[in-house]
Amino acid sequence: MQNSVALEAKQLAVFYGEKQVVYDVSLKFPANQITALIGASGSGKSTVLRSLNRMNDDVATVKGEINFHGLNINEPKVNVYRVRQQIGMVFQQPTPFPLSIYENVIYGLRLAGEKNKEVLDQRVEESLRQAALWDEVKDQLKESALALSGGQQQRLCIARTLAVRPEIILMDEPTSALDPVSTSQIEDTLVQLKEKFTIIMVTHNMQQASRSADWTAFMHQGHLVEFDKTANIFMNPQEQKTADYLSGKFG
Amino acid sequence: MHPEKVDKLATGIILTLAGIVGLVILSLLAYILATGIPHVSWDFLTSSAESFRAGGGIRDQLFNSLYLVVLTMIVSVPLALCAAIYLSEYAPDNRWTGLLRLAIEVLSSLPSVVVGLFGYLVFVLQFGMDFSLLAGALALTILNLPILTRSCEDALRQVPYLQRQAGLGLGMSKWRVTTKIVLPAALPGIITGAILSAGRIFGEAAALIYTAGQSSPAIDYGDWNPFSPASFLNPMRPAETLAVHIWKVNSEGLVPDARAVSNGSAAVLIITILLFNLVARYLGYLIKKKLTK
Repeated sequence: MQNSVALEAKQLAVFYGEKQVVYDVSLKFPANQITALIGASGSGKSTVLRSLNRMNDDVATVKGEINFHGLNINEPKVNVYRVRQQIGMVFQQPTPFPLSIYENVIYGLRLAGEKNKEVLDQRVEESLRQAALWDEVKDQLKESALALSGGQQQRLCIARTLAVRPEIILMDEPTSALDPVSTSQIEDTLVQLKEKFTIIMVTHNMQQASRSADWTAFMHQGHLVEFDKTANIFMNPQEQKTADYLSGKFG
Repeated sequence: MHPEKVDKLATGIILTLAGIVGLVILSLLAYILATGIPHVSWDFLTSSAESFRAGGGIRDQLFNSLYLVVLTMIVSVPLALCAAIYLSEYAPDNRWTGLLRLAIEVLSSLPSVVVGLFGYLVFVLQFGMDFSLLAGALALTILNLPILTRSCEDALRQVPYLQRQAGLGLGMSKWRVTTKIVLPAALPGIITGAILSAGRIFGEAAALIYTAGQSSPAIDYGDWNPFSPASFLNPMRPAETLAVHIWKVNSEGLVPDARAVSNGSAAVLIITILLFNLVARYLGYLIKKKLTK
């Protein structure tokens, strides 16, 4: 692989109570690239994604290693709050807090204790620009984030995640609740973001994976079936299951 | 029968029954107000009660009721809120929390006279508080806790799970998510629930007869020292509330205008509770408006 590895999952297995839902998944996520996790509902792709920054701690048992800068962050003694600041997450539904746009963006920073107004102002502009929202909201930063459209809210949530300057951003079907115009705006945003961040996203939308992702991992019933460059997966899949899924035979 | 006919019939029955309920409640309310309001005057509200002569007022009883509500809320809101936060944010789904929920439900259907006698034995006699506002407030707290806990828990649960996830995803601890995201979002519901429960305990009599007492000794509204025995703020003084006053005037009142006094008191009680409800709604509306601005 020509890219350095930002995050590595090694023999990941996830259990909900007694029931195993993810089996022996090993993946190396390349830095400054977009990796898409695809697969049918129940294939375990979201579970894998959410395990990567320990969001499954309360609901599932995750076994295996998740290596980040030489540290296995799947160990109990690791500070999960620091992990989540380094590995941020954007959810399916936009989740703005009932605050102003400005306060939403700097929420994580404020919690970290940053008080300097210049730093905050500068970070708001930088994050909103990166999320391609600045031009639309720069004159209404003090207004409620709830007044924004769904697509704008989702880009605001991306900006909020960017503002804590993570290295990796996990996205769980970030556009599934949005209309096609907002979806394509977010996809454009992703391509710009990968210069600075590593992006790992779950998507149900094949076109989205083929359009924006550099790498694609196909999962089926808790197993990783195939992981390769997106072009290879879509044009020349090595596994029959991948070919069947992509051609719509199941899923 | 045709579906349309069934639909018409069902709608008719539902409307009739709802109409009966509405009619009963409205006529009760109208009766209480119509018989009571003529007796309510500025003098009635601002003079103290008489024991044997006509023309007594309800100044002290009205103040005692309000003060008792405040004392009760000071004790019960923090307790109920903490319990609700535990139940909604931290409690796992197991036998122990199931037992806890069951206990809260049982407690909420406890007859208030039982709570009153319990308060008499424990607070008044055992803890030596005598008949006092404090003993009354503690008895009312027992009555209030289950309902207030439930309404706080409901308010907390109505905050979407996604909001919590978003906070956790930013690297916030659970406690911070609870205090910075969940609690502010649930605040309108919590305040509304608290005020409504305040209205409910405002009209409570049975739990107070043996705890806060049935007498109202002369109190001094100019004495702001809560430790002075005559002070209106002293929580250790016995205090007859409005609802207890209505009960007492009717059962053993010696004043010739007992009927008028009790009617007037009932009207004042109802109107005050109505005000509680209106304030609760308005506050909830204001906070919601402020949050979504």
